[in-house]
Amino acid sequence: MADDRDLKEQVLVLATGCDTTQLDLSAPEGYLLSRIDGATAWRFLREIGGIPPEEVDACLGRWLAEGVLEVVSRPVASETSAPNKETAAATSSAETSESTPAAEAKAEPEQPTESTTAFIAPAIDESELDGALDIDEEVQRRILEFEASLGRPYHELLGIAAGSDPKVVKRAYFKLSKEFHPDRYFRKQIGGYAERLDRIFKKVLEAHEILSDPELCKVENQTATDAASAGPPSDVVAAATIPLADAASNEGASSSSAKPAQARPLTKLERLKQRMPFKINHAAIAERRARADEIFRAAQNSQQAGRLQEAEASLRIAITFDPGRAEFKEALGSLRIAAAGARATQLLAKPSERMSSAELLEALRLLEDVLPYRPHDPELNERAARVCLQLTKLDDAEEYAETLLLRSPEYSPAHTLLGRIHRERGDMDQAVRAFEMALKFDEEDLEARRALASVRIGARDAARGGDS
Amino acid sequence: MSRVIGIDLGTTNSCVSVVENGQSTVIPNSGGYKTTPSMFGISQDGKRLVGHLAKRQAITNARNTIFAAKRLIGRRFDDPEVQKSIDLCPYEIVRGPNEDPRIKVGGKTFTCPEISGIILREMKRVAEEYLSETVQEAVITVPAYFNDTQRQCTKDAGKIAGLEVLRIINEPTAAALSYGMNRQGDEKIAVYDLGGGTFDISILEMSDGVIEVLATSGNTFLGGEDFDRRIVQHLVEWFEESEGMDLRGDTMALQRLKDASEKAKCDLSMRDVVEINLPFIASDSEGPRHLNYELTRENLENLVHDVVEGTLKSVEQCCVDAGVQAQDIDQIVLVGGQTRMPLVQKRVTEHFGKRPHKGVNPDEVVGLGAAVQAAALLDADNDMLLLDVTPLSLGIGTYGGHFARLIDRNTTVPVSKGHIFTTTRDDQSAVKIRVLQGESDMANENDLLGEFVLSGIRPAPKGEPEVEVSFDIDANGIVSVSARDLATGKEQSITVSSTGTLSDSEIDEIIEEHDLYEVQIKD
Repeated sequence: MADDRDLKEQVLVLATGCDTTQLDLSAPEGYLLSRIDGATAWRFLREIGGIPPEEVDACLGRWLAEGVLEVVSRPVASETSAPNKETAAATSSAETSESTPAAEAKAEPEQPTESTTAFIAPAIDESELDGALDIDEEVQRRILEFEASLGRPYHELLGIAAGSDPKVVKRAYFKLSKEFHPDRYFRKQIGGYAERLDRIFKKVLEAHEILSDPELCKVENQTATDAASAGPPSDVVAAATIPLADAASNEGASSSSAKPAQARPLTKLERLKQRMPFKINHAAIAERRARADEIFRAAQNSQQAGRLQEAEASLRIAITFDPGRAEFKEALGSLRIAAAGARATQLLAKPSERMSSAELLEALRLLEDVLPYRPHDPELNERAARVCLQLTKLDDAEEYAETLLLRSPEYSPAHTLLGRIHRERGDMDQAVRAFEMALKFDEEDLEARRALASVRIGARDAARGGDS
Repeated sequence: MSRVIGIDLGTTNSCVSVVENGQSTVIPNSGGYKTTPSMFGISQDGKRLVGHLAKRQAITNARNTIFAAKRLIGRRFDDPEVQKSIDLCPYEIVRGPNEDPRIKVGGKTFTCPEISGIILREMKRVAEEYLSETVQEAVITVPAYFNDTQRQCTKDAGKIAGLEVLRIINEPTAAALSYGMNRQGDEKIAVYDLGGGTFDISILEMSDGVIEVLATSGNTFLGGEDFDRRIVQHLVEWFEESEGMDLRGDTMALQRLKDASEKAKCDLSMRDVVEINLPFIASDSEGPRHLNYELTRENLENLVHDVVEGTLKSVEQCCVDAGVQAQDIDQIVLVGGQTRMPLVQKRVTEHFGKRPHKGVNPDEVVGLGAAVQAAALLDADNDMLLLDVTPLSLGIGTYGGHFARLIDRNTTVPVSKGHIFTTTRDDQSAVKIRVLQGESDMANENDLLGEFVLSGIRPAPKGEPEVEVSFDIDANGIVSVSARDLATGKEQSITVSSTGTLSDSEIDEIIEEHDLYEVQIKD
């Protein structure tokens, strides 16, 4: 037999034809046996936690001697040396087989799965080691190994027994933090190891979060138990070895040893749902909704009583309390139209020609406030166009007039208005065309008739002037 | 390599520390004081004064002396806190072009990061004088409730002061670091911080130099000033009863009462009784009136008893959040001048069933902690590790204006978390991801950090597409958010950079100007 050190690098597998149901196993032994998947090296089995390494050695040695196990000729996992690429999002990236050791003991460990399903890559790529970095090669090796085995069940990741006391979880978490927290290498030249540390620490953090919360732990265990009970017992091991990439894409992926009734691994979505019940505070929202309704009713009362400002203020508060409600916004819109409309009407009672520029600006502001709520209102657009014309904001005026014409193409005052805008701009041809349109729809339109006459006279004068 | 300092940039006083030979020390300024007033003023003849020099002339030059700029930093002009300051502060606060409050003194308008920058520059100078070498890097502390903008503004202030800010850490965390340095074993620590205007309680867990924040809680509207207000109220009522005069409308009298109350409060921490003497406090047709009152410690304790009880409610809440019982706490660290009051110490002792830790000075412990964190990051001999947390919850806005929280506040960083979201309409082809930060359940009450659209979702009935949104915070607190359509694998992402109230070019302009100014005084 090879020397001890070599042996520790070996990968073990259940001997063909071995009937594990005949073995007399204690709970930890059963658990240990369940972890033998033809991919995990002896060395890593010593670290699964909960069982002292010496006992693991003794137990594995005994099984080897008894012919329960045999050595796989070559560490399979070296073929999958690239660690499973995790997406940053994977809050629940690892499948776990974390049921109670007793339950596992009953489970009959399956024949080794194909090498592609191996999730532990104990062999590391030596070319990743870089002596030029501010980080010892030994530490680099440790980081690479740890990163390569991030897919282990959470308690193994922390190196503790399943179902450990929160205090034990915390201690293990702190210990690993001290080893892998990125701040330990603050400002150091560590190249690609920065990302590795980041990944490792996030995973350790996640393990700590799950294992120290009884509720989440229960979900975790449930996940594992479901997987176990849905299929033949032997699937516990198989479920644990589904590569992450497959679990994520969830295209019916499973190990090549899949049996028809195999437990379907939970989809990523299902795991996420179980892991993180949606954190929306429904009670608080219901309360706020009720409050919003109350304020909305008060606003309606104020509006009926004619206290528009008060109503508007209340509506705004109601919207703050429940921003999703369209009816509040509609109410606010029509209220503002009513309020601004009242004032605008008051202002526009004077013909816009006789308004001071301050009044014109105020009227325009009011109209611009209101228009977003009723962008196609002909009356509002006409007023806005007139005011803009007065203020010689010709482009705006034209836009409003055009909008107006879209709605009422046969409304002669709109054409007249457009004509005046063109005339103001000096575009006489356009102006003439607009005035003629106005007259087409209303022969009696005096304003258009006069304007047209003056434009033509102006044009004639200009032409004569040009002749002489 | 030059040394890195820790600065406690306080509302009223600032304090700078350094770790030397494994010991953290507070650096005294040239006047021998361990803390420096966070004040900046422009004297009548146009000289710029910082710290004690500014404080000395504050009474005669109130309009041109800035204090408590920390209350304004990183806030919007319309913020209630800013509006309150406008009412209370003798200096002029104006609306800046970025909707930020700016301060006008000596005919010049200053931004808040600039004021804080001037104070940080002074602290840097104090440290350089003491260490006889230039200092370029610092760790700065901020209150736990500071949001992203306020933190970024504090960083900007550091930049203006010529300091690279390695980290911004929370004041209570810093206090715990200072306490925890050179300590072994497992301990749960409560940091009870009762400052002038705010109350903070944090519970942390420490084991072999690793410190983790379990929970923080507090009340931003409760602090030492409430104690003063209670005394003033009491005096006004007493005066009305005995003299038949109401002082409430007399601002001058109220200011004198406030100053006297604060002094009496401090004195009563050492003595059992003080006399409050305010001659000519008011006058009427019968001539001038004087206020003469004997305030006993018992008197004071009756007045403020419920304020102290209020802090203990927060303590209880914090214990619940942290999942610990009050008696599980191994050490209580007191921070803030108000914790010198015997009643506070007594009630805290009763609540936790043990005496607060005696070895730390409540005014210095935060600055010391900042230096400890600097050493923990850069000093190979320092074995401390702070598992820092994200100060506010992060999430996205969802249908109906709700806030879906993906990362809770006080989550240890670096961290990544994700969740699956779906569409709300049939055949919806795109989703907009609005990245928000805050504690409200309503999306529009939280701060929008950024937004992006994930398009190209295959037509499907509503609720069917699966879009995975993941949040990732790295060790430096940089947040990135990605959304991935699980059906097509299409992905969009955004890195959220926190912004202060000033743009980079504005900061550069200010730095340039201050450099010019530096040259001017040397001439």
